[in-house]
Amino acid sequence: MTTATSPTDAADRSSPTAGPPAGTAGGTTSERRRRERRAGWLFVLPDAIGLLIFLGIPMVLTFVLSFFRVNGFGAYDFVGFANFQRMFSDPQFTSSLLRSLVYIVILVPLLFVVSLALAILVTKKIPMIGVFRSAFFVPYVVSLVVVGLVWQFMLTDKVGVVSRLFSGIGVEASWLGDPKYALASVIVVTVWYQMGYYMIIFMAGIQDIPKEYYEAATIDGAGGWASFKSITWPLLRPTSFFVLLTTTIAALTGGLDLIYVLTKGGPANSTTLVIFYIFQQAFQYGEFGYAAAMSTFLVLVMLAISMVIFAVTRGGRFDND
Amino acid sequence: MPETPQHVNPSTDLSGGLNRRRLFKMGGAIAAGSIATPLISSCSSASASEPLRFWNFYSPVTQEKEDLQRQSDWFAKLVSDWNSSHERQVVLEYIPGQAYSGSKLPTAFAAGNGPDIFLISPGDFLRYQTGGVLADLTPYMTQEAIDDFFPDALATRTVDGKVYALPMEIEPLTIFYSRPAWERAGLSEGDIPTSWDQLLNVADKLTSASSSGLVLETVPGYYQNFTYYPWFWAANGKMFNEDQTAATFAGAAGEQSLRFWADTVRTGVAPRTLPAAGDLVGALSGGQAAMWHSGIWNVVAFQLNAPDFDYGVFKTPWPSGGEYTTALGGWAFVANAKSRDAQAAAEFCVYALGSMEDHSINRMVDWCTYAKSDIAPRKSALQRGTAKGGYDTPVMKTFKDDIFPGGRGEPRYPPVVYKAISDAVQACQLAGADPAQAAETANKAIDAYLKTYDGPRME
Repeated sequence: MTTATSPTDAADRSSPTAGPPAGTAGGTTSERRRRERRAGWLFVLPDAIGLLIFLGIPMVLTFVLSFFRVNGFGAYDFVGFANFQRMFSDPQFTSSLLRSLVYIVILVPLLFVVSLALAILVTKKIPMIGVFRSAFFVPYVVSLVVVGLVWQFMLTDKVGVVSRLFSGIGVEASWLGDPKYALASVIVVTVWYQMGYYMIIFMAGIQDIPKEYYEAATIDGAGGWASFKSITWPLLRPTSFFVLLTTTIAALTGGLDLIYVLTKGGPANSTTLVIFYIFQQAFQYGEFGYAAAMSTFLVLVMLAISMVIFAVTRGGRFDND
Repeated sequence: MPETPQHVNPSTDLSGGLNRRRLFKMGGAIAAGSIATPLISSCSSASASEPLRFWNFYSPVTQEKEDLQRQSDWFAKLVSDWNSSHERQVVLEYIPGQAYSGSKLPTAFAAGNGPDIFLISPGDFLRYQTGGVLADLTPYMTQEAIDDFFPDALATRTVDGKVYALPMEIEPLTIFYSRPAWERAGLSEGDIPTSWDQLLNVADKLTSASSSGLVLETVPGYYQNFTYYPWFWAANGKMFNEDQTAATFAGAAGEQSLRFWADTVRTGVAPRTLPAAGDLVGALSGGQAAMWHSGIWNVVAFQLNAPDFDYGVFKTPWPSGGEYTTALGGWAFVANAKSRDAQAAAEFCVYALGSMEDHSINRMVDWCTYAKSDIAPRKSALQRGTAKGGYDTPVMKTFKDDIFPGGRGEPRYPPVVYKAISDAVQACQLAGADPAQAAETANKAIDAYLKTYDGPRME
């Protein structure tokens, strides 16, 4: 019997002292490793260049811009830390930042739980489950502007479908027009829109868990909850970490389009998240330098939150890693 | 016989004589090319022979609704007429309305790549003028043409006696009402309110479980402020003192107007969100609203989209001790002073709307009486439009003879002033804030701004 051996396998097995003779086509092991490393860098290079051009350089420029007063028409005046000082004395900035934190604290766990629940549901052997799986994912492929407009109609006072439904059970509320409910409404729409995407991520994680574990648990008499607690949840740790991190970052830096269409930051600034406030300062008021300072600060906040998540979840690693 | 793996050195020999080094070189060349091409093309786009770019939110685009198509065609014909008689060509570039002044225009100017010609609203005028990007159009106009514009229409586009923008339309605000809704509520023409108390009373009678009695704008933004100003002015409100060194928003007018807006929501006659996603024609004809404070542009929308619907308009009421007024909005043509051919851009604006030539006056007549339903900003155009029957319908006649004459041009407050007023309006209307306190907070913010402001007059 013969075994096909790849050049990489051969290289891995060869010791430095017993490598192929010098002058052969494969070269020495260290030479191969150097070449492989170079090949790796070449593969990474296009992405790295893209990140540098579209992310790295803009971030540096934004940081530099935060030290200038910019009128939006080509005038740049160096103002040192004035934009940062203004930021901390601007009550609208601090309140929008606090509002964003509240938004994160409510949205992230809600989105996490709903997506995970849906993923567990759609991985069960239920008739027509493919249809449900597609239905849950469809909102994510619809344009966010369309999502916003549709929900705006549904949440309209008096005549919107949602308003009528609640009115039918005696609850009269203006879901987008009352500061008490507007942010909650935005969160519900966001969960509805994003749950399909994170459901797919969780599904992939669940399908990676060997079926034998569940079979063994069933033989041992474990029920659904026990299986989830002892098998699914611990083995989903890397996936959970990924979902937690990306939803948190998305909650802090995203949502602009939806808020722009649904509420324009109203009523009475109740849905003005920090990212929307930055957008307003830059594009509606022409305060590009001030917006850059707030963006720089937001990156630091995001970094701090990410580090906390990394620390608490150990980067999604298993206990024995 | 044992299979022998193909011993290929992937680092040197990929296929067909294409080795890694060559591949790398090719990749480098492609990358350099892809980076360089846009740079080269952007350099070439600045060449003197390129046409002037005219950014707008009307054309060229194919529209489903007839009124919007008429507007698109009007722009296309203007550019076609200019191009057939001038060496410097102009090309229309369509930017969707939401994105136009929301992000595209400021971003383009911030990047030093603003359009040569564009449309501007009163709310944005001062920022662009003080930013030095608006060309002075006065040298290209005759005094006769300048005098032909209604003073209020040009005042908010003029700085130190120089005209920087040419209005294409005057859009007064007023109250539209549904006659069927009035009849159902047992109301008649004799019940048309002239005071704020009467308005609240009528609105209450028109309010039902599925219909709002009165709709005032609820979405925060420049437009909401524009719709708020007539109520403030009607209560004899003035935003600043005479020499514009102190804010006077916190007086009785500010408090009274904010309280009225708050009362409309508190008493339940006005909704917190706009019915029919802001579509006045749909809401009134669909029975979702009975009265709506909005602008003249809805007339052509009614004419084309709900021609049989019976509606009317009446002057915005005023409080006791106050007087009738309204806000006159409308967009204007401007030329970019930093354009590579600012002179041609300015000449284009004047050719389009500001010369004494027949085509210029007639073009405005077409825009205001056919493509849209607006008051023409020039006396000659308003006369010709009237002679052509453009203001013959009862509603347009009311706009021309009753509503427009008492109006004031939309102020050109900078962002800080706008935001302070917006926050006060939103807080009182939708968050139950105390009007006196909200006006005082706004006043302080405006006062602080005025201490460092040394630009032109804001109204």
